[in-house]
Amino acid sequence: MIEIRGVSFSYGKTGVFRDFSLSIPEGQVCLVTGINGVGKSTLLRLMAGVLRPDKGKIRYDPKLGADPRRKIGFVSDALSLYESLTIAEAIGFHKSVYGLSSFDDSLVQHTKIGCRQKVRELSIGQRTIFHLNLILSLEPAVLLVDEIIHSIDAYLRKVFLEQIVQLLSKRRLTVVMVNVNFHDIEHLIERVILLKSGEIAVDENIEDLKSKVKKIVARNRPDSLNVLSQIDYSEHSEFFVYPFDNRLRGTIEGDIFDLNLTEIVSAFIGGEYA
Amino acid sequence: MGKLEEPRQIRIDAKSAVPAYEQIKRAIKLAILSGRWENGKQLMTLREMALKLMVNPNTIIKVYGQLENEGFIYSRPGAGYYVKLDPAKFSKGSPELFREVTEDYISKALQLGYSAEQILREVAALTNIGIPSARRKDHGNDRD
Repeated sequence: MIEIRGVSFSYGKTGVFRDFSLSIPEGQVCLVTGINGVGKSTLLRLMAGVLRPDKGKIRYDPKLGADPRRKIGFVSDALSLYESLTIAEAIGFHKSVYGLSSFDDSLVQHTKIGCRQKVRELSIGQRTIFHLNLILSLEPAVLLVDEIIHSIDAYLRKVFLEQIVQLLSKRRLTVVMVNVNFHDIEHLIERVILLKSGEIAVDENIEDLKSKVKKIVARNRPDSLNVLSQIDYSEHSEFFVYPFDNRLRGTIEGDIFDLNLTEIVSAFIGGEYA
Repeated sequence: MGKLEEPRQIRIDAKSAVPAYEQIKRAIKLAILSGRWENGKQLMTLREMALKLMVNPNTIIKVYGQLENEGFIYSRPGAGYYVKLDPAKFSKGSPELFREVTEDYISKALQLGYSAEQILREVAALTNIGIPSARRKDHGNDRD
């Protein structure tokens, strides 16, 4: 469990969050999304304890112990500490810092990263996988995944996601992902949190979200519904509506279509750019 | 007997508002009721199935749990899940499932812009019950 309560945070004079609260229960897989610059990564860094809130509190499950940061894996592009080390040296260093007696490097092996390669020679994808391998050796209870997985190739992305599914099937793991591209994580996510101007604009479980966001193709704007965004064509328009209620079927003029997660998020975000 | 080489037939439609667990459950029920998955065959483990479909393992736990409650599969603790084709369940479970599948198909076809009559003719053509002129004629392009 991660409990963010009344948190305010700003970078100098630029405010990001004011009196922000959010609670994520143990074992949940959450997606945090929203337009660029809305504070998704900042939120993740606050949860990771990399940034400290100006005000308010972030509390963790007591099970995480006195130093919760150790049980929180933050997957980002943050291997700078190890740049000049080889993979073998970095693993040795990691083991001694955290007092590990063994290290399962199967992920590294799997992706053909050589032990004598220097960290700085790795591609972004390989770095991410290596970083994940280091994090997993600490058996995290919480995994925070920054947008970094966008910059890795399709194969490593698959390796990465499979690793997460493996972990989820072995034990309770809380996962918070920041993402704007969902085709391959769509069915891993249980809850979607959409940020807008430093606040939570949408917070729904995936099933509710899918039943509440629809595309209506019609000539006229459906005035009984809240339209998030629309695309106009010569003869008709596509209206993205939320919240939709199934009981309204039949009263709506036009055709009603279900949407996948990418389309749903685009509908929300499109509205913000309009 | 080896494990079922599933889930070739299981496809999750990400666009559908039918929850992923429901879609997987239907696909498995169909495989069992159609006889493709034989009685006593072992299903993939939770982890294997989650990996194969790239879904949250909690979803598979829910699917297997519900299938077990409905009597389509049973579990041997520590050994896995197996198909249970209970003839009594068969006749009880299938009309309801048949209705679900039919409704699902009809609503998708209607969304594509086909009329009820066209749907009926297509079904007739595909099942070879021989309604004249059902084949080809309305296939595809007349929906714009």
